[in-house]
Amino acid sequence: MTSKLIRHSAVLAMAGLLSACAAGPGGGSIYVPASSEEPEAPKPPRIETGAGEPRVERKSEQPEDERMAPAYQQEGDALPPAARGLIQRADSLLASGDAQAAVSQLERAQRIAPRSSTVYFRLSEAYVALDQLGSAEQFALKGLSLAGNDASLQRNGWLLLADIRRARGNVAGADQAEARAANL
Amino acid sequence: MRKNAPAKRTPRKRSGSRNKQPWFWRLVVRVSLVVLVLLAAWTAYLDAVVTSRFEGRRFEVPSRVYARPLELYDGASVTASGLQRELELAGYRLGRSDSGGTYRRNGGQFEIYTRGFRFSDGQEPRRRLSLVIFNDKVREFTVTAGPPSAIVRLEPAQIGGIYPAHKEDRVLVQLQNVPELFRGALLAVEDRDFYDHFGIAPLSIGRAMLANIRAGSIVQGGSTLTQQLVKNFFLTRDQTLLRKANEALMALLLELHYDKDDILETYINEVYVGQAGTRAIHGFGLASQFYFGESITDLKSHQIALLVGLVKGPSYYNPRRHPDRARSRRDLVLRVMADTGLISEQEASRARGQPLGVSARASYSENRYPAYIDLVRRHLARDYRREDLESEGLRIFTTLNPDIQYAAESAVSDTLTSMDTDSERALESAMVVTARDSGEVLALVGGRDPQFAGFNRAVDAMRPIGSLVKPFVYLTALQHPDKYTLVTPVEDRSFSLVFDDGRRWEPKNYDGEERGEVPLHRALSNSYNLPTVRVGLDVGVDTVRTTLQDFGVDGEISGYPSLLLGSVSMAPVTVAQIYQGLATSGFNTPLRTIRQVTDAGGEALSRYSLKVKQVADAGSVHLIQYALQETMQEGTGSSAYRTVPEALTLAGKTGTTDGGRDSWFAGFSGDLLAVTWVGRDDNGPTSLSGATGALPVWARFMARVPQHGFSPVVPDGVGYHWVNSEQAALTDEGCRNARLMPFIVGSEPEIEISCGGSIQRRVQGWFEGLFR
Repeated sequence: MTSKLIRHSAVLAMAGLLSACAAGPGGGSIYVPASSEEPEAPKPPRIETGAGEPRVERKSEQPEDERMAPAYQQEGDALPPAARGLIQRADSLLASGDAQAAVSQLERAQRIAPRSSTVYFRLSEAYVALDQLGSAEQFALKGLSLAGNDASLQRNGWLLLADIRRARGNVAGADQAEARAANL
Repeated sequence: MRKNAPAKRTPRKRSGSRNKQPWFWRLVVRVSLVVLVLLAAWTAYLDAVVTSRFEGRRFEVPSRVYARPLELYDGASVTASGLQRELELAGYRLGRSDSGGTYRRNGGQFEIYTRGFRFSDGQEPRRRLSLVIFNDKVREFTVTAGPPSAIVRLEPAQIGGIYPAHKEDRVLVQLQNVPELFRGALLAVEDRDFYDHFGIAPLSIGRAMLANIRAGSIVQGGSTLTQQLVKNFFLTRDQTLLRKANEALMALLLELHYDKDDILETYINEVYVGQAGTRAIHGFGLASQFYFGESITDLKSHQIALLVGLVKGPSYYNPRRHPDRARSRRDLVLRVMADTGLISEQEASRARGQPLGVSARASYSENRYPAYIDLVRRHLARDYRREDLESEGLRIFTTLNPDIQYAAESAVSDTLTSMDTDSERALESAMVVTARDSGEVLALVGGRDPQFAGFNRAVDAMRPIGSLVKPFVYLTALQHPDKYTLVTPVEDRSFSLVFDDGRRWEPKNYDGEERGEVPLHRALSNSYNLPTVRVGLDVGVDTVRTTLQDFGVDGEISGYPSLLLGSVSMAPVTVAQIYQGLATSGFNTPLRTIRQVTDAGGEALSRYSLKVKQVADAGSVHLIQYALQETMQEGTGSSAYRTVPEALTLAGKTGTTDGGRDSWFAGFSGDLLAVTWVGRDDNGPTSLSGATGALPVWARFMARVPQHGFSPVVPDGVGYHWVNSEQAALTDEGCRNARLMPFIVGSEPEIEISCGGSIQRRVQGWFEGLFR
């Protein structure tokens, strides 16, 4: 009985983990392979003329737990190892003063990990090195939009943004960003 | 024309007829003088032709257009069939992977021998790779030969070229990069005395004839390389005596002015060696790529023999069309190579044992992606002159993803074919696919026949966007959280607008119904017209227009209220551009088809870097993203989930214009943003709506591409709450109709409603909270 219960709860936990990926904590977007076989391509629904677009609203007869819900996540996507390698390469290029080459490697990393805030923060730093502060600020903002509830990523992002804004002469914006960092 | 012939005879006559009559003598002198003057003038003219052509010799080298290189690493997203297609497109051969450009496949298991490629950021060396594709992901990626690396770029497939009018294609090579063996073989077969003669070689003609008789077939040609070059370079193809004379004269002149290596290098780059459609393949640099997918520096003896043998008759010995002829010709050349001591007998017989090894088909057919290349050319035209593109041998690295392009093309043509059964013959379509976060254009379909290089609907079909505009109307409203949230009740009731000039406008819903009050999110997900216009008029048509401009519309937008229902016309690429900002958290990301342009040597000339610009606050965009997911789950887009797995949690919007003239769909996943349009070129009506025309194309495409589901990160300043959206009130998670919805912090409903739902209970709850 107990073992059955444990097994059951293990299954539940697994299911919970899986669903947690779609919404809520867990982090990382779900990867969905292509439909392996040509899916039963449904004939495009032919609706009587004039009744195409709107659908009848779903009323409460729809059991709630079966209804799909819009997805969201609190955490940003993790950085895959391949992207991490490219970022390391970019770091050493940046250290040796070749910021343009670093940008090339970071753009490769961005294509591999387009939802990872780290990549955008690094791009921001590379553009600081290139003295293109406008781009640097935008990439910092983009990184922040993907940092989710990771406090240390958020803090680093806001501090980076504060530095950039100060360098651009936007003192108020810089103070504001610093305050955001301090609140984390 | 025929004045040359007597000119050669005159000296003989002159010496043998001294004592003839004076009138004859005078005549001879006069004619000779005239002929000599003419000959001198003609020679001077030819000399000018030869030198000017050779001095200012600058081969027009077309630009090469490449697809994006496929990056392979553990976790890379690719299907097994997609990888195979990719390899074939890059001219890889299926077979033993013991030389560059080959691969083996056993189910999901791949072994790939790359050729290596020089990217502007460094050399990608030759490697042998081993990997498994499982669930459309690369696993167990290892480099089994060559420098180890966790991530490897394959050579990018060439997908097009930008050619001068005469369509000559070539890749220039320098003599020092041509293998010694290649030069030796070429001279052994075509012109053994090249370094000794002065342009023409009467002796070698005789010897060639002798050799040919001995061999029983034609092994050597009589004319020198210099003569052949002149023939290709300056003269037409017709065989006349005069042309032969001109040829000899020009060969002599050429030798007089230029040294042997210069002439040989020019020959190697000029010689005609094949044809691909209307494109003429010139020079051994391109020939080695065209036939073997290899650089000339890497050719092996049997490949060298094949190319050298081709000079005699590129069409007759075409190894793809006439492999037997090509093979015997190659073996003959190998024999000559052995006879002249260039290779040993053993090497010759080993080489004869080799298969032809020609890549399966021409590495690309130039008309494969006409719509995409068209857009690339337009983007190039911003920074490059056409003459330079046609002659400077530039390399253009695009963002085309051949596998996504394949999925897009087949989704368009398959879906439209299935619609044809309903006698919708004249239907056309267009599609744009971009990478959601980078704005790279991955695929572009300009019509239902993707090979047709005509009207590029993806770029040039300007059509009213209909309901695709609605997210921008509501986004503009949601930027005022004090006034609008996703649950704000909006009025779904008809009304009429009277303009100053007395005209009336009475918008209707698509179904003609009116529903009274509906929550804002439902008005968007069900695409109701009446509430949209009311909200749009409330926030201001001009404000909505500004939102559209911020998101990337650069054309004219009229300020009429009909804008709120999408009377504004846009091309599919523009729609993709403005949806980019909705798909990301309000970041406008300019669409790009080109990553980089380099010169022929691989040095970067221009980079087109990723750029982002925040044009809307992440919070309000997040709310729109919720409603666009709801559209797919409960609203006008829900039929997509008959085709697409639910885990993709897509977001999107339908669009339909009057009489079904335009059927639109725009939407995105975690990785991709795609816009489809279906309609008629003559702008005629159809029985389609966005949900029945463009959406099936879109859904079919999405189902065929492995990708990440859409799951936006909750931005700062947004909180999720369980609400009863009909009552615009907070509620308990367990209640019927409870929805977990995002709100800009501070804008969530202030009232609470229990599962029972009465006002009283809400007030009670509030009191309870007060005294707890």
